[in-house]
This record gives sequence, C-alpha cells and structure tokens, in this order.
Amino acid sequence: MAADVHNKGVTWDAPNGSLVPVDRLRSERSDSPTPGLVQGTEPGAGQEHAMFMHAQSFEDLAAESESNPDSDQAEDQSVLGESQEASEKEGEEEEQRGGAEPEEEQKDQPEENQKQHQKQKQEVQTGVRGKEEDVTSEAWRRHRKHVFVLSEAGKPIYTRYGTEEALSTTMGVMMALVSFVEAEKNIIRAIHADGCRVVFLHKSPLVLVGVSQSSQSDRELSRELQYVYYQIVSLLTLTQLNHIFQHKQNYDLRRLLAGSEHLTDSLLRLLDRDPGLLLNAVMSLPLSSSARDVVSTSLQAAKAKSLVFSILLAGNRLVTLVRKKDQYLHHMDLHLLFNLVGSSSSFREGEGWTPICLPKFNTAGFFHAHISYLEPKSDLCLILVSTDREDFFNLSDCKRRFLERLRKRSAYQALQEAVQTPTYPVSQVGIPELWHFVYKSKSSGLYTSPELPVPYQKEEEHERLIGLYRYLHSCLHHPTRPLRSVYRCGDTENLFAWVSTITTAAFNKQV
Amino acid sequence: MTAMRVDAKVVMLGKESVGKTSLVERYVHHRFLVGPYQNTIGAAFVAKPINVGDKVITLGIWDTAGSERYEAMSRIYYRGARAAIVCYDLTDSSSFLRARFWVKELQTFEEHCKIYLCGTKNDLIKADRSARQVDYHDVTDFADEIGAQHFETSSKTGNNVDELFMKVAEDFSNSAFELMPEEKGVDLGQKKDSYFYSCCHN
Repeated sequence: MAADVHNKGVTWDAPNGSLVPVDRLRSERSDSPTPGLVQGTEPGAGQEHAMFMHAQSFEDLAAESESNPDSDQAEDQSVLGESQEASEKEGEEEEQRGGAEPEEEQKDQPEENQKQHQKQKQEVQTGVRGKEEDVTSEAWRRHRKHVFVLSEAGKPIYTRYGTEEALSTTMGVMMALVSFVEAEKNIIRAIHADGCRVVFLHKSPLVLVGVSQSSQSDRELSRELQYVYYQIVSLLTLTQLNHIFQHKQNYDLRRLLAGSEHLTDSLLRLLDRDPGLLLNAVMSLPLSSSARDVVSTSLQAAKAKSLVFSILLAGNRLVTLVRKKDQYLHHMDLHLLFNLVGSSSSFREGEGWTPICLPKFNTAGFFHAHISYLEPKSDLCLILVSTDREDFFNLSDCKRRFLERLRKRSAYQALQEAVQTPTYPVSQVGIPELWHFVYKSKSSGLYTSPELPVPYQKEEEHERLIGLYRYLHSCLHHPTRPLRSVYRCGDTENLFAWVSTITTAAFNKQV
Repeated sequence: MTAMRVDAKVVMLGKESVGKTSLVERYVHHRFLVGPYQNTIGAAFVAKPINVGDKVITLGIWDTAGSERYEAMSRIYYRGARAAIVCYDLTDSSSFLRARFWVKELQTFEEHCKIYLCGTKNDLIKADRSARQVDYHDVTDFADEIGAQHFETSSKTGNNVDELFMKVAEDFSNSAFELMPEEKGVDLGQKKDSYFYSCCHN
C-alpha cells in the first residue's frame, strides 16, 4: 500500500505526538519533532530563558542574502522612482505595449482594490492547474518564464505550465545536460539561445531549470529558482528530501508535494509582481506609530515558551513582528510565510496548525505554525511560530490573550480602520507627474509603495513595471559596476533610481 | 482560565479531496463553498458546542490534510481522539482503500477511538446512480466487522451531516457517563498537574 511505502521511507515522524494533554503520554513526550535532530538543536531551541523582544526596527529581517549580495552593497536607502510623460502620449503607448507583450495565460481583470485582487488571485491560482496545457503547443512555448524542477534521476517534480508527465522526456534532457557538464567537473549555469535563457540551479537532490524570454539576467533568474527551491524545502525539510532520495533515487516526489503546486505557482507570481521579493523587503501596513506600538506590546505580552515568532499580517502587508531574543527571521522565510497564508483559503476555516520549515533559519527541522484570522471576515492574520508541535492549545490561548488585550486597549478599532485603507495614492507624496515609486528603508527591511496608477493596473503592465524596477535594481546593484543613481528616459516613462546614504529621497519630474 | 473547553476530540481522516473540509464546513458553518478545490494545509481546528439531551458537549474537530506529505504528522492529530470520522468518496474506489488504511492505523494505535465511516458526495450518487464506485453493502459489512458506524453524507445538500456529528456527540456523551466514576477522586500520590509543568524538553 502506498502509505506503507511512505512510512518506511520516511522516518522523520516521532512516534508519539499529541495535541491533547493526556497524562498517560507524559513519559513519551521527550521526542524531538524531527528525529535526527537532537532535542535542543531544533530551530529556536536553547532559548528557554530568552526574553521576548519586539523587533522594533525590524533590522534583522533585512539580513544578508547569501546568494544575492545585492542588498549588502546597497547603502542606506534605495529609491526607485518613476514618472510618466504627459498623458497625451498614452494612446501610442498602449499600442506599443500591446504588440510587445507576450501572451499571458492567466489573465486577471485589472484589480480595483486589494481585496478584489486577492480574490482573483485565488481564483487564478486554483483554476490554472485545472486546465491542462498541451506542452507541444506554440502557446505553451511562448510563456514568458518557465520553471521546471526535477530530481537527480531526471524525474519531473514540478512544472509551472502543463503537466509534469508530458514533460518527462524534456526533463530527462535537462538532467542529461547537467550530468554531462558535471562529468567534467564543471557546472552548467546557463544557456543562451534564440532569445531564450535557460538557467540551471543544481541544489542536490533537486535540479531547477528556468527558461525565460524576458530581459532578466541569469543571476536574477537563478535567484528566483532559489526561492522555488526553498519553497519545496519549506514543505519537506532538506533532511527529509535527502533521506528520501538516498533511499530511493527514482522516488516520485510529486506524491509528497501533491496539493502544494499552487504554493509554487503563487510564489512565481509574487516574484513576477511583488517588488518586495526583489528588494529583500516586506511591505508594511500604514498605521499610526502609537497604534502599532499597542499592537506590538499586546503581541509581546502573549508569549509562550515554545513561541519563537509572532507575526501579524494584514493581507500581504506586515503589521508587526515579534521575535524571541536573538532569533532572527530572514526575509526569504518571511516571504514564504506570506505566500503560504496569501495563497491558501484553508486558514479561514478554523485555526490552522501546520508544520513548516523555515529554510533560511534551519533546513533540517520543522517549526509548527498556528495560523488564524483574527475574525472570520477579517484580513488580519496572525501567525504564531512554535518549536513544539504539541503546543497547539497554548498558542491558541496566546491568540486569545492577544485579542483580548487588543480590544481592552481599544487598538483594535484603529487597526481595523487601517486595514480598510491599506494603500495610498501616489499624489499623497506631493510630487507632480510622479507615477509610481518604491522606497525601501534598508535599516528596517521594509518598503513602501503607493497603489498602482491606472496605466499599470493591467496584469501585463504591472509585470512590465516590475520589470523596469528590476532593471533599475540591477543597475544599482551590479556585481562589478554598481551605480549610485540611474536616470533613463524611455518611450513611455522616465525612470530614476537612487541609492542614498542619508535619508533623503528624491524623485524625478516630467521631462 | 482557558478559552477552549473541549470535551471530545474528533478527527477527520481520509484521502485528499474526499471532502473532509467541506463536511466540517457544512456542519460548523452550515455552508457549502462552491469553487476550485483548495487543499488543507496541515490541519485546521474548530471547536463546536452541541446539545445532547440537557447537556452541552463541545466537539474539538481536527480537520486534517489528506495529502501524503502530512501523513507522518497525522498521528498527533488522532492521538487521544474519542472519535474518528474516516471519510471516503463514494465515487472514488481508491479513497475507500485509503479509508481502510486509516481504520487499520486507528485500530493499531488508538484502540479507544470510535470509528465512523463516512461516504461523502452522496448527492452525486443521487444524481447519477452509475457514479457509485463504493458498494453500500461492502461498507456496511466492513463497518460491522470493525464495529464502526456508517454514514453516507452530502456536504452540498447537507444530507445526513448533522446526524453524523449528532451521533458522535451522543456516543461520546453516553460513554463519558460510563467512564465518569473511574475518573473521580484525587490521587494524592500523583504529582500535581505534572504534565503541564514538566520540563519535558530538557
């Protein structure tokens, strides 16, 4: 029976775990949630006496990213601004864009507001999997960015478009290329051909391949593949991944990943659209500092021994984050959590309790996350990350205490009002002709950005805009020739980007 | 003071996409969400009070993910459960094989857990009899053999859903009453609340 195989192959389960305080189980409870990990080496362990601290400045979240020295080179602030020429040009722009844009498979309506956007996103991500694409068709080939994941035995694990089965020969060829080059003690990084870039990332036991027709550099594509790799690790842990493939080289990993494809799909969409993943930063919810302080202290007060991170989200924006002393949450891990919550309606049903590996923290073990919305219809989602998989009811109680305190101190009202207006128009910054901007504060690891103005609300325009930011970002953080400021006049808009050492921000005006 | 007073732990088990979440959704929120399938991540917990006679019993329902990925975790969800609702899809014979697997698991590790076999998507069968892939009598025979209750439900129409959970609550209420005398009294030799205070991670 299928399950038996799994049980034999994967022994990372501790034989006994319970969410119910049953007295007779007491003696069995010393098992580590992940065998192979000695108790005390699992993530966050050894901090029994640590105080709970509020990550005031959030600084640690913007921690270095190993594969991407970008943010290290960045100085204090980087500002990417963008303005658009006078509107009479717009008609002509539309035409140009229409012709240049590759076909997009998942067409959303232009988003009116955050909520609607969210809803559509969910529709898209679940709908797309349903309609299977013909992988031999021209439409399939024309997708702007393909992502494939395969095992070292050449078995398909994930494809962004189409079905894995239909691509087994293609993936076999990919694996052959990787092996062929590696046989000579070399590493294949990329192939450039015919307007396509094929980027390889070999992270044993997985091989990731990105095929792009966009202008993204190999480094950027490789970084996106890393995200996908970490997404998979976050579901299974690297320990388990290695274990599986050591025992059975040609294991079909899709069995274990079943139902998680939409997480990877959604992550790839975030990479295409969310500047946060580009900037190694998260967006914060605009909120008065006094209200945020109340929220933070309330969250701080609701602590439990096993609780490592408490994160309050409003949609895709961070309200506050509280962490255990000396424990840092990497922005990549935070993005994975954002993606998990944002792409699953499952947590609206009740209180979620799920194992999750935060790969930047530790690839070997699972945390256990208590995920719940503060109210059924609310956008406010609380994530409590714990080291103890039996601590569900304790964490559930933390949430109750947090809510109680929040209500008592009447901060809840302010918070709910802030959630109603999560965005602001670009006009609020008072710079005429400015169309859109992104501002990241490096010290806090947060960024802010106004709502998308009309010309960028269409999905392909949105992605084009992100593409422009990506270009500016790559100029500022070029590995050998980083720039301090960039100004570019384009056909449809003028771009300006600036890395500043002092806290000054500047934007361009219309030319 | 704890917020959640749960009398009976109930766990939902079964192959993915048989409709465990829909069943809970129907029972707890009286609704059926039409739309694309979304798999459960990890597990979801809901507490639901239910009137049995003159008593109120709170069922703590654990809706587990059917995906194989979480299988190794599943034991923490069913351990100590008083009732397990093992679901299978009436239109998918492989889901019944999976149900048998869960029954075996429960019998091995959780002998005090009462088992309820639940065939889901009854409405599909009613619309088209040929859609049935799991024979009614096969299941009743199996249920008799393992001493389980058997229900066929539809979360879409609500058919038999309340009855199923009512039965779970009633059975618990009856058995809890029987067990009561044993659990009364204080054992002075036992350390006070040692479960909660033991530093079991050291």
